[in-house]
Amino acid sequence: MNEMTRLERFRSEVPLPGPADLRTEESRLLDAMAHAATVRPVRGAGRTRRARRLRFGLVAGLAAAALTAGVAGVALHQKPAAPPVIHAENAAAARILTRAADNVSEAPELHPRPDQFLVFTSQTMNTVDSVEQGGRASHYLSRGKRTIWLPARGDATHGVIEEEVLKPHAYPGRPIPPEAYENIGRHGPEKAVDEDNTADYLRTDYAHLSRLPTDPAKMYEHLYIQLGTGPLADARAWDYVGGMLVEAYMPAAQRAALFRAAAMIHGVTVVRSATDAAGRRGIAVASTWKGLRTEYIFTPETYQFLGLRTVVVGPTRVKAPVGSVLTSTAQLSVSVADHAPKVKRR
Amino acid sequence: MSETSRAEADDAAVIGRSRQEPEAFAEVFRRYAPDIKRYVTRRLGPEAAEDVAAETFLAAFRQRGGYDLSRRNARPWLYGIATNLMGRHVRTEVRQLRILERTGTDPVTASFAERSDERLSAEASGPTLAGALAALPNGHRDALLLVVWGDLSYPEAAQALGVRVGTVRSRINRARRNLRRDLGGVNPMAIVREETTHE
Repeated sequence: MNEMTRLERFRSEVPLPGPADLRTEESRLLDAMAHAATVRPVRGAGRTRRARRLRFGLVAGLAAAALTAGVAGVALHQKPAAPPVIHAENAAAARILTRAADNVSEAPELHPRPDQFLVFTSQTMNTVDSVEQGGRASHYLSRGKRTIWLPARGDATHGVIEEEVLKPHAYPGRPIPPEAYENIGRHGPEKAVDEDNTADYLRTDYAHLSRLPTDPAKMYEHLYIQLGTGPLADARAWDYVGGMLVEAYMPAAQRAALFRAAAMIHGVTVVRSATDAAGRRGIAVASTWKGLRTEYIFTPETYQFLGLRTVVVGPTRVKAPVGSVLTSTAQLSVSVADHAPKVKRR
Repeated sequence: MSETSRAEADDAAVIGRSRQEPEAFAEVFRRYAPDIKRYVTRRLGPEAAEDVAAETFLAAFRQRGGYDLSRRNARPWLYGIATNLMGRHVRTEVRQLRILERTGTDPVTASFAERSDERLSAEASGPTLAGALAALPNGHRDALLLVVWGDLSYPEAAQALGVRVGTVRSRINRARRNLRRDLGGVNPMAIVREETTHE
């Protein structure tokens, strides 16, 4: 037996992988392909978007909203039967967030003046629980495309929103309640919120965010202000990260620090394949609290933030099958404007 | 490179099409991902292999615009990308080889324990072989393993590594000589002949 034969046999017990063994690699490639096919036109602006309260009684939600909602919904078009694979190691999540931090300068940076507005466009899906006349709860998934103008400095009461409410989706096994159709069509421009009672240290306007630390350890401290420690604190810190990414915009230095700080949050995992509300596929980092997983989705190639979603992964107060998507946001663009549109009188 | 000749005949066509229709690139993955992943796993172990294999196809996908369409067989190109990415893990590779050399247990194949029959048959010269592989210069190990494990011909290995065929030939000759020397000390029953490699 010569050295070549021995070398051929060396580690020959490593099997030829089958399709199941290549799922991770495949999904990452599919993400990149889907992204190349659909997302290229959006390039140009950094993107962000944040769910806020709408006027017509919808709960527009981050995970926090989903956590408190008494109801759940399922995005039928997002294959709830196939929950994505979770890798439990934090190292992989840290790697993704580190790449996101390294790549913050890939998107051109915006420099809004304090008197200007940041304009965010996005597509959303949120669970709505409404109470019918007889007191019975009904549930459905509200969908929409929205543009929000938020002042670069100051609270959201000076913000303006325009929304196109799309056809609702059903919660499986339940009829879509009649009121779900009431708001279909265009709304606004109207005031984004009537009041904004956000605590000072939780503000997400540009002026506030651009004063945050650029040092990851200090940013981490900032995320945990008044939270203490433990799983609930981790879940809230994670939600706060989302609040700074969605319908919020911060300078690249702070954004990089935010991603590095997020990587230090305990229990953060990777979801190899996640789809945002616009159908764009990406790779996500996620944190799970009481059966609900809050995922921040990035493009698999350049690790730009795409959007977020909340997925049922275990027993939760909201009764929904595993794999149900409760909320979903696709951030489509961020830009700067001198003025917000005039608000229509109601 | 032989049994897949029918499929690989039109790799260039698939890659060309994928420039307009990115989805078409899935076919390249289907054809080569199993081989690439097994190759990387044999060198680095299953954990690093997952990342390297995924990155190989992502990189290939991004670089598809620069692929030379006169090369109908994409195999050398993909192995070249994988080799390049594995370069970042060279310390891991060598460390694992040294563990096997020292302890007789191979961390790379530990998770494939159910195939113990095959492992036993391979084990006898494993530690020595591992030590010999670890001692090779990186470029020599790359060339040798591309040919023996990756099934590339010498010209294909040259293409993958971006070097001349003569360089591949001399690297492999020297690598083989070193392996023979190291193995010879362990197994006196081995038939050792000085032979010139030819392709």
